[in-house]
Amino acid sequence: MITFERVSKTYPGGSRALADVSFQIDRGSMVFLTGHSGAGKSTMLRLIMMLERASRGQVIVNDRNLSNSPDKLAPLVRRSTGMIFQDHKLLKDKTVADNVALPLMIAGLKYSDIRKRVRAALDKVGLLDKEIAWPLTLSGGEQQRVGIARAIVSRPPLLLADEPTGNLDPNLSRELFGLFEQISEQGATVLIASHDLDLIRQTRKRVLVLSNGRLADDIPEGESS
Amino acid sequence: MRRRNRAWIRRHSYSFFSSLGVLYKHKVGTIMTVMVLGIAMFLPLGLYITLSNLDGMNLRQDEWSAVTVFFKPGTTEDDVRRVSRELETHLSPEAIVIISPDEGMADFRDASGFGESLDMLEENPLPWVMQVSPQRGTTEQLEERVAELTGFLQSLDSIEVTQFDYKWLQRLGRMMELGQATVSVLILLFGIAVVVVVANTIRLDVASHAEEIEILALVGAGNAFVRQPFLYSGLWYGLMGGLLAVILLGLTVLYLGRPLGLLLETYGSVFSLQGLGGQNTLWVLLGGGFLGWLGAWISVQRYLQRLKVGGRLGRS
Repeated sequence: MITFERVSKTYPGGSRALADVSFQIDRGSMVFLTGHSGAGKSTMLRLIMMLERASRGQVIVNDRNLSNSPDKLAPLVRRSTGMIFQDHKLLKDKTVADNVALPLMIAGLKYSDIRKRVRAALDKVGLLDKEIAWPLTLSGGEQQRVGIARAIVSRPPLLLADEPTGNLDPNLSRELFGLFEQISEQGATVLIASHDLDLIRQTRKRVLVLSNGRLADDIPEGESS
Repeated sequence: MRRRNRAWIRRHSYSFFSSLGVLYKHKVGTIMTVMVLGIAMFLPLGLYITLSNLDGMNLRQDEWSAVTVFFKPGTTEDDVRRVSRELETHLSPEAIVIISPDEGMADFRDASGFGESLDMLEENPLPWVMQVSPQRGTTEQLEERVAELTGFLQSLDSIEVTQFDYKWLQRLGRMMELGQATVSVLILLFGIAVVVVVANTIRLDVASHAEEIEILALVGAGNAFVRQPFLYSGLWYGLMGGLLAVILLGLTVLYLGRPLGLLLETYGSVFSLQGLGGQNTLWVLLGGGFLGWLGAWISVQRYLQRLKVGGRLGRS
């Protein structure tokens, strides 16, 4: 699903975020990405979402080589990738349902289909009763689940999450990881950047460890470090 | 293909309504912007209407474009009639009016108020006079015909002098041209003003939606989707500005029409003030809409540079 081939990324100004990183993530698997802050986790996610281009090497996502795709393909790449952000990135002046509906509006789906799918997505994250609520009236955990509903509503083959449990207490975090596992079991590839090491160990999933822009370790599924 | 078309229509209807919603939500701002636009469009249109009304008056061409011919003293009525007949056969003017010395004297007596003093004159010093109006036409045609006419008359022995207020005609023609050129310049300048006003309004609009735009782009909205609601807003601004200008013009014509009509009546002129007309109204609305759209496009396009791959998107 995701292939990095000797990928380097140097930002204008010379700061090197990734150096010669290679790995492969299979379709339908769930993988954690960890490392100290500034290790290159965000850059990696930005490359997969085509927010950034690799300075060297190939980034191949869902059989598409992003390194030589034109800029105008970026929206398409992002539409087939569900993204979950640490700060949720919800629109405060739109209801929960409207927020979740955004990717479908962009895709131009029929209104009745949008409604159906939004309800299905909200049901999956357990927020069906919050359809017409405003995001700011929800707790942090609930807001994050709205973000997840938005990410999965168009049933993308790939789900990325950037520190999704950053502001949540351990119980909520565990719940959320359970949700990601469910989604992955239904066939989506899930990549989670996190430094919640305790939780990562408990899930016993594959873990990619970044350090100073290099892939320092690649712990396979079932092994705990 | 049909599926894609339907998706396109749905996306457009979404932007269509969301843009209207935004304008409605910021009623006061919208009204102020529309007023600025309406007045900016009203000014050149007002001048345009004034000019086209002046042009439409035609200023009784036959009366003021007449060549006045003064015959030499001692010319007889027969001589005058002969000249008149010759003129008619050769140049077929619009009208010839002959004024005998007696008629001239009577007119002068009435107009000047020298009644008593004129009685002291032993004989009538006024010559035979003829007023020849060339056929009507455009200013240029008229100039040509007048030149022909005076050329012919000056070759005759019995004629002392011909007089024509040529300059007046020329001046009027040039003034109309100048006025029309001024209208063109004003339309250009105020058209630019409309684009700039809308561009600035939309720029602020875009800035206040920066967060929304960022989120839309992150979840996969293309430039077209981000741009659409703003382009629609620009279109609405321009259309409403145009509509306001048309309404202001209509009210002005209504308001000025009666006093102007009364004024012109004292000059013996029957005249009614003409408005913009259906076709021009349509042009104003279309033009306003287009200028608004253009202003919005310029603003949004500048902002969209930030959403490029490798740009600032997603780094808050």
